[in-house]
Amino acid sequence: MTDQALPLATSRAERRTRSFNLPGFVARTIKYLLLSLAAFVSIFPFFWMVVGATNRSVDIGIGKATFGDQLFINAANFFATVDAPRIFWNSAFIALVGTVLTLAISSLAGYGFEMFRSKFRERIFTLMLLLLSIPFAALMVPLFVMISSFKLVGTVAAVVLPGIASIFIIFYFRQATKAFPGELRDAARVDGLNEWQIFFYIYLPTMRSTYAAAIIIVFMANWNNYLWPLIVLNKPEQKTATLVISSLTSSYTPDFGMILFGTILATLPTLIIFFLLQRRFVEGMLGAVK
Amino acid sequence: MANARLGRTEQITGWTFIAPALVLLGIFMLYPILWSLWMSFQVGKGMNFNFGGFANIVRLTKDPVFIRALVNTLTFLVVQVPIMIMLALLAAVALNDPKLRFRGFFRTAIFLPCVTSLIAYSTLFKSMFATDGIVNKMLMAVWIIQEPIHWLQDPFWAKILIIIAITWRWTGYNMVFYLAALQNVDRSIYEAARIDGASGWQQFWQITVPMLKPVILFTTIISTIGTLQLFDEVNNITQGGPSDSTLTLSLYIYNLTFKFMPSFGYSATVSWVIVLLVAVLSFLQFVIARDRSK
Amino acid sequence: MTTTASRWRHALAIAAAAGVSVLTMTAAMAVDVTVWAWDTNFNGAAMKEAASRYAPTHPDVNIKIDDSMQQEDIRQKLQTQLLAGDTTGLPDIVLIQDDVAQKYLQSFPGAFVPLSDSIDMTAFAPYKVAAATHDGKSYSLPFDSGVTGLFYRADYLKEAGYEADALKDLTWDKFIQIGKDVKAKTGHNLIALDLNGSGLIRIMMQSAGVWYFNADGSLNIVDNKPLKAALETYAKIWQADIVKPASGWTEFTSAFTSGETTVALNGVWMTGTIKSQPDQSGKWGVAPIPKLEGVEGATGYSNEGGSSWYVLSSGPGKDAAVDFLKSIWATDVDFYQKILVGQGAFSTWLPASAGDAYKASDDFFGGQPVWANFSEWQAKIPSIDYGIYTAEVDAAVVAQLPTITQGGSVDDALKAINDQASQQMQ
Repeated sequence: MTDQALPLATSRAERRTRSFNLPGFVARTIKYLLLSLAAFVSIFPFFWMVVGATNRSVDIGIGKATFGDQLFINAANFFATVDAPRIFWNSAFIALVGTVLTLAISSLAGYGFEMFRSKFRERIFTLMLLLLSIPFAALMVPLFVMISSFKLVGTVAAVVLPGIASIFIIFYFRQATKAFPGELRDAARVDGLNEWQIFFYIYLPTMRSTYAAAIIIVFMANWNNYLWPLIVLNKPEQKTATLVISSLTSSYTPDFGMILFGTILATLPTLIIFFLLQRRFVEGMLGAVK
Repeated sequence: MANARLGRTEQITGWTFIAPALVLLGIFMLYPILWSLWMSFQVGKGMNFNFGGFANIVRLTKDPVFIRALVNTLTFLVVQVPIMIMLALLAAVALNDPKLRFRGFFRTAIFLPCVTSLIAYSTLFKSMFATDGIVNKMLMAVWIIQEPIHWLQDPFWAKILIIIAITWRWTGYNMVFYLAALQNVDRSIYEAARIDGASGWQQFWQITVPMLKPVILFTTIISTIGTLQLFDEVNNITQGGPSDSTLTLSLYIYNLTFKFMPSFGYSATVSWVIVLLVAVLSFLQFVIARDRSK
Repeated sequence: MTTTASRWRHALAIAAAAGVSVLTMTAAMAVDVTVWAWDTNFNGAAMKEAASRYAPTHPDVNIKIDDSMQQEDIRQKLQTQLLAGDTTGLPDIVLIQDDVAQKYLQSFPGAFVPLSDSIDMTAFAPYKVAAATHDGKSYSLPFDSGVTGLFYRADYLKEAGYEADALKDLTWDKFIQIGKDVKAKTGHNLIALDLNGSGLIRIMMQSAGVWYFNADGSLNIVDNKPLKAALETYAKIWQADIVKPASGWTEFTSAFTSGETTVALNGVWMTGTIKSQPDQSGKWGVAPIPKLEGVEGATGYSNEGGSSWYVLSSGPGKDAAVDFLKSIWATDVDFYQKILVGQGAFSTWLPASAGDAYKASDDFFGGQPVWANFSEWQAKIPSIDYGIYTAEVDAAVVAQLPTITQGGSVDDALKAINDQASQQMQ
């Protein structure tokens, strides 16, 4: 394969002839085959989860992979065991508030770090990247001490606040901003826009696909967040779907049919968000600017 | 742009953009981090600890479990991250082709693994890779192997299983970043290249990869950090076993903190080893990236 | 379910109070007692039953049960909050598994109320009380028993030519022989084992009255004869090709609930899981576990798991909590019959076994008086001291299991366990 990666300078005519006949067709077929294989491998566990939700716990344990007739029983058990509207509302509220605040704070910072460089800020940025690598387990106890000194234990703020200045997302926006054309910014300055106006009127709409990806990632992280909400939320009525559904596995005799039904429900919101936003990935930047 | 001198007003604007984030990080990161740094010089159990100087660092060098966890973690890193980044990049490029049919389907399918719940996926992986599971049956049916592989009981294959599992789960996730970044690449560049007769591979290496370099660097660093903190898969699929063959630094930190007699000082020290590793690796990655761009 | 139940009780209290002024008075006197448990169908349900028995005589005490957490989650929350010194989010009563209890008692002195000051501990199984005793005081209200039994498929054994009598005074060698015969005749593996767990080894070791530690808390590994015999036996079982390898709890339990393996050798709390398959009724039996041969003090009785209730001294409802535990959990024989029948919770409060439910025979187990048997076996469990480093040594044992099952030297394994564990116990 590497021998094909010749410099661009090779004879044009030679390549022209090649790109029009059989090899192109074969390449396309291989591409579809590989993509289909990847899609199959990716979907299979998800499919199995759906199948599992229609089976009895004992069948799931022995790896049965065909549809059963227990879906309604599993669903009924699930709704009888957990207060579904409440836990999904709790999760949605935390995920939405968390996503909006994280994107606002972190995209501003990512833009700021890339557009206004100074030696001092570069140092801060490097330090931040290093801090990103400390495992959360090591920070949990002191963070809890802080939250409790702010009297925030047991509140949504305690869950959301520590995460909204996300070094990860700041870093992402900074890297994505590198592709933001300098000409656009210069033109806007000539037009008399100030730096904040440039951010809101030029940068934000231009980087729609970047924001779309960030929304998916941040929403998913907030929705699936486990360890920290577990520690700071105390009342059962505050618990999120992720917490409650995984607690179902703790019994001596877990009912996996019911649990898988719950996990499907818990997966749907992120999937819907991805569905809604994936169109952004094909529109491209130029379309957005026009 | 990098070397441009900023004026005073621009300096101030620069700070205002990052100020909210810095304030929050200062409140919620700085204290916990200083605390854990201070703790790494403390020895003792539970709430009874006292200053131990470098005792924890000495303990690290003599701890066979730590060495095992470190070697395992680095093995996962070196083997898994390059494979996943490459796969994600190829998938993103393939799916960015406007002429491709069923694009939405393929995109969603490849993204699916990272939203599939950990409970479902770890239960399934365990059952699929059981000794009499479907994977062994398939491999034996096509004569790739004659004896079933003990995926979960053999230290070597357990590592391979973990690599398969994380690649499966996170490739689509990384692909999202590349897809988003590809939208910022002007299509006319590709058209020009095509007219010049550049092959698909040439376009990939000479246009796509350089244009996506900032995002590739980003995902590489993020995946590196993610792998150094690898926890979910090894905790849920192999429980670090068999025989500690999939024990990672993060799982070890967790055990030291919650499973064993709580020794925060020592687990903080292990955490800072990860920071040190990231420092070295990021430095290397930045240097390599800089050299290439020259 | 918890929330609905407690809200309902709350609503009742309000309705009974009738009138705002009375309501504020009740609110001023009312005490909340929060309880953390981890299995809605087991310990959570038992606690709910206890709470409902306490409520009529104590309308001012509002017992709130949160069983929407995994056991690991409870440990994390407990530990984080105790370390941070902020106990406002902690419950009044918490369930802790016996083998980790000493770790908490010794890491967080003063965090738990010494229950032996107000509750008579001699009425509980001595080995349970010992597990929660520190500096002469006992801190727990013992809950469920972990007395072990050999649950077996009588039908598979019969097919291989074995009657229940064959399991009398069973040794491990005989156990392995039965396994081979059953596999040859029926194709069923004998037992499911997880290489990531040391459960079976611990059961064998305790059956000879020994644990990982000496009386002074120092490691007892290299010259620990029962441990050595346990590891050798474990290796023999694997090498006899009668093991279904399992990874994780689900695969482990479905090995016998699905009818794949012949036996389950576990604590009495496994009864509920086994009985979860009604179509297997009458096919099961229970016997004492095999004995380690040639080991001094070896018995056919041991313990696996089991947990107890602890009262946190920081809780605002701690006095009510102690009174609640005392007046239901250390008094009410009838209550224990109810949770035995309903949840399969086997009591460690000795007077409970005088009740009717404990004498009943069970058709699921071919009409065997299972509970009476377990009561008899429970009284014979050798007491041991779990110490504070059980988890560390467990990890060291588990690290050696693959090697010894493949024929590696047990003496070398013991040495490696000793080295790793002594390093971890710093």
